[in-house]
Amino acid sequence: MKTTSDFPSINERTPDGQSNGGSAFKVLVVDDSMFVTKQIGQILSSEGFNVVGTAADGLEGVEKYKELYPNVDLVTMDITMPRMDGVSALEKIIEFDKDAKVVMISALGKQDLVKKALLIGAKNYIIKPLDRKKVLERVISVLK
Amino acid sequence: MRVEYINPFVEAAYNIMTEVLQTEVERKDLYLKKTTQPVMGVAALVGLAGDVEGRVLIDMSQDSAIKIASTMNGEKLTSMDELAKATITELANMITAQAVTKLFDLGFKFDLTPPSIITGENMSVSDANVEALIVPLEMPQGLVEINVAIRERA
Ligand SMILES: [Mg+2]
Repeated sequence: MKTTSDFPSINERTPDGQSNGGSAFKVLVVDDSMFVTKQIGQILSSEGFNVVGTAADGLEGVEKYKELYPNVDLVTMDITMPRMDGVSALEKIIEFDKDAKVVMISALGKQDLVKKALLIGAKNYIIKPLDRKKVLERVISVLK
Repeated sequence: MRVEYINPFVEAAYNIMTEVLQTEVERKDLYLKKTTQPVMGVAALVGLAGDVEGRVLIDMSQDSAIKIASTMNGEKLTSMDELAKATITELANMITAQAVTKLFDLGFKFDLTPPSIITGENMSVSDANVEALIVPLEMPQGLVEINVAIRERA
């Protein structure tokens, strides 16, 4: 019996979550909201990314980054979090690995904090509400 | 209206709100309202059309909606802004998706409209020829009513 897989797609492409070598990009998601963590996870997984870790505050995020390093390609970093906010966590991660690729996740109205994060070394930012297109665009622009 | 139409929505709302708010949710007693009834300030509305037709309202005060959206986002939101609206829409999406899967499993066939968010004071909803069943859910963020008016197509 013929199945669709017998007919290779004419637009076969590497999913955006994979490097040209075919391995999945490894992402650490740092956010105190389970809902947002899940949203980001679903968007990234559906495009072939590998979410290798999650953390619920900045302190845990920094620890997880050090634990995973060097097997982590990108961090999504929420700004408002308990214990340690995202900007401080970003600072600690850059201190540890100056080439870290961190994308800030922010609600509207935190322009000053986003600016500060970009000066510290965040590679990009995404303003909530998140949607698939926005997240993938920003994340991919940082990785490729 | 048959109670079996509302149960999947209440169960889904209970499951999802417990999960995304990570809090206790208490299910209050079901009650029935006829034709025109006030709604609370923020309502997510989903329409159904097919073997069964009608609508589902996920209804709450603006204050509760902002608190729910704040908890869900890990942000202190202060108004019913774009993020709050998108969050309540997504909440409604998650609830309807889970409920509808159950109704499809029971053999009902129908299409859904994507959730619309309606906000305002002194609103009311009128449903011609069908009474609404309502189950209030109480949580620290406030009260959310699952308000369902569905009937079999004549
Ligand atoms: Mg947060």
